[in-house]
Amino acid sequence: MTRITIGPFNRVEGDLEVRLDVESGHVVRAEVTAPLYRGFEQILEGRPPLDALVLAPRICGICSVSQSVAAASALRDAMGCEAAPNGLLATNIAHAAENAADHLTHFYLFFMPDFAREAYASRAWHNATAERFTATRGSAAREALPARARLLETMGIIAGKWPHSIAFQPGGTTRAIELGERIRLMSIATAFRVFLERVVFADTLENVLSIATASELDGWHAGRAGDFAHFLGLADDLSLARLGKGPGLLMSYGAYHGLEGELFPRGIFGRRALIEPLPVNQITEDVSHAWMRESAVDPAHSTTVPDPDKPQAYSWSKAPRLSGQPIEVGALARQAVAGQPLVTDLVSTSGSNVRNRVIARLIETARIALAMEEWIKELRLSQPFCLEAREMPDGAYVGLVEAARGSLGHWLAVRAGKIERYQIIAPTTWNFSPRDSFDVAGPLEQALVGTDVGDAGSRAVAIQHIVRSFDPCMVCTAH
Amino acid sequence: MGAATETFYSVIRRQGITRRSFHKFCSLTATSLGLGPLAASRIANALETKPRIPVIWMHGLECTCCSESFIRSAHPLVKDAVLSMISLDYDDTIMAAAGHQAEAILEETRAKYKGQYILAVEGNPPLNEGGMFCIDGGKPFVEKLKLMAEDAMAIIAWGACASWGCVQAAKPNPTQATPIDKVITNKPIIKVPGCPPIAEVMTGVITYILTFGKLPELDRQGRPKMFYSQRIHDKCYRRSHFDAGQFVEEWDDESARKGYCLYKMGCKGPTTYNACSTVRWNGGVSFPIQSGHGCIGCSEDGFWDKGSFYDRLTTIKQFGIEKNADQIGMVAAGAVGAAVVAHAAVTAVKRLATKREDATQDT
Repeated sequence: MTRITIGPFNRVEGDLEVRLDVESGHVVRAEVTAPLYRGFEQILEGRPPLDALVLAPRICGICSVSQSVAAASALRDAMGCEAAPNGLLATNIAHAAENAADHLTHFYLFFMPDFAREAYASRAWHNATAERFTATRGSAAREALPARARLLETMGIIAGKWPHSIAFQPGGTTRAIELGERIRLMSIATAFRVFLERVVFADTLENVLSIATASELDGWHAGRAGDFAHFLGLADDLSLARLGKGPGLLMSYGAYHGLEGELFPRGIFGRRALIEPLPVNQITEDVSHAWMRESAVDPAHSTTVPDPDKPQAYSWSKAPRLSGQPIEVGALARQAVAGQPLVTDLVSTSGSNVRNRVIARLIETARIALAMEEWIKELRLSQPFCLEAREMPDGAYVGLVEAARGSLGHWLAVRAGKIERYQIIAPTTWNFSPRDSFDVAGPLEQALVGTDVGDAGSRAVAIQHIVRSFDPCMVCTAH
Repeated sequence: MGAATETFYSVIRRQGITRRSFHKFCSLTATSLGLGPLAASRIANALETKPRIPVIWMHGLECTCCSESFIRSAHPLVKDAVLSMISLDYDDTIMAAAGHQAEAILEETRAKYKGQYILAVEGNPPLNEGGMFCIDGGKPFVEKLKLMAEDAMAIIAWGACASWGCVQAAKPNPTQATPIDKVITNKPIIKVPGCPPIAEVMTGVITYILTFGKLPELDRQGRPKMFYSQRIHDKCYRRSHFDAGQFVEEWDDESARKGYCLYKMGCKGPTTYNACSTVRWNGGVSFPIQSGHGCIGCSEDGFWDKGSFYDRLTTIKQFGIEKNADQIGMVAAGAVGAAVVAHAAVTAVKRLATKREDATQDT
């Protein structure tokens, strides 16, 4: 048996290290390390609760709106108030823009460049892939970056600046949208749709979303242009559906809260492909393999204090568990729980894997592009965008949202008008969790086991595909 | 990596960028740097003839918001090619190479371009526990930083983290996150603070250095004067409402819809030096004050530990300006609070605002 270490990983958000035990060319055990810790939970303690709106988003420069929305949601719970309907819609529009931008970044800048590597030079598709996706030089980034920048002008209109926007408040958004701005938002949404239809899918979003089964998808992509079909072609050739199996359980906190519930509902997609309700009180965090001191397992009562000399520990990340089990989160989980037909069929037939994760992200991008258009139309410009609330009684509160990469929760305890405790469980904390006290590995650790690395060792590109298929955000992971 | 004689222009052309876009970039850069029209041809000439300067972009304890800001720069060339034009020889977040291959690039650049490369640092090193709160390639980040700084020509400290410490250095600063000028003391360091800095400020600074081969003029705190010499407040489009004593009292209240001053909502514009109110964000679309939220002063040292971000009615005197908001309001209206708004009802501003409101009824 040989042990190989892969890291630092490039083209992931933040720092990551992976250690693999390899036996006859196959991974038999994996350990995932989040090597970066800043201590946001410690920093937030004792501060005025509303300061979380400024501090918490700075956990992450890529999913800062998700962090803002989670903090605002926890504070809304604490204040027992409602958000103005317009505020919810404006938040949804901004949040959707960030999430869609993240999905594009992942696909174009982080994930696809691996297929332009020399390791694939013998493949029939390699020349075309290298021309389109080579890191920093491929033609795709030159189209995707401007489209993404245009989409993020949404942030300028709704939130002033991005990353680290401050317009998201418990009662809604600070800025009332004006008529001219609504028109600008609509033109941004339209430009985004055009980019998706022309460059990503080479088909209308409606047509793409009407693909209901795995076999229909095969028929759809044969001979089609567009980057999605490009991916599907090489995914079939490389059997990416057999790579990086997840733990089987998928979870979503529910995304885009509107007046009539959520666009993507809350729930669990179980091993028998049934959608079940989510028992929020069954969420725990285990620190047996984290450089953290023992504390309550319930995030509503736990604290985060480093213990850098802890034996056995190998990551700054705690190990979140649902009913004691590791669980996978992300676009695949969100769309499976939401019953999106194609994703449901894919997960039911081939489970969670590298190929399905990428497909779910792009399908979700199409869905939220359409939803953005609706939300922009639904804004009632003369109505309030933000409701005021001041009281914040002592107690424990929670804000649960979906970031691009999956389920994000902020647990807040207030005492005498100050933050008593603040706990954050981020999407990649779930996906890249270390082992728990029963020695059960986290989702990525499980997904890596069995991977054929051949003689390539640390250079095995399959490892890169599996790790990046989760779209990790390491700065969120241990925060 | 290119040969030492390679110019920026040749790199650009290799990327398939047209000569026309190149000149457009040069004139836009000249404008954003506040230089005259002749400077555009100087920039073009320099980029065509001077050997390119390698840039190493490293990430310490951070959130990647600086990179995020940077890649959304509105410069036409940035979206095409800034990543290659500026020749990022090494950037963890976006480059192709991985793992030890990537580490080898660092070593190679250090040896080959000794004393000639720019080290751009995003984030900062945490010093507690021997640096183990930020381990990069099996070593504490602070070691890698010191090593690469040793042979750099100059260092760019991107953002509030590298410049001042930022929120991760907020009390109790659990990891002892430390700004880089406390660790590297023998090299010129240019601070480009902000959380994150504005994309156009970042590209402007880097283009200036690459074009003229020297650092732009810095203020006492090490910030480029061209972007950090004015207060947000000085160029704020809501300034007239501050002067008239017209203030927002609650998010999205009547006064907010009229675009009144956000000072009473905790705006730190009067004490913050940055280009937000002139250059603006996300392609010049907006900036925080325009979104109806006060400035939090994210480009200022220690902005994270100056009391609540939502403290209202903080006395301006504390900030070293003449009068506090209420006094100004009283001069204007003879009373504070509701009376300020009542006074405003008879001003021309009110009439304009009403018209605008009529126009924004539901459609």
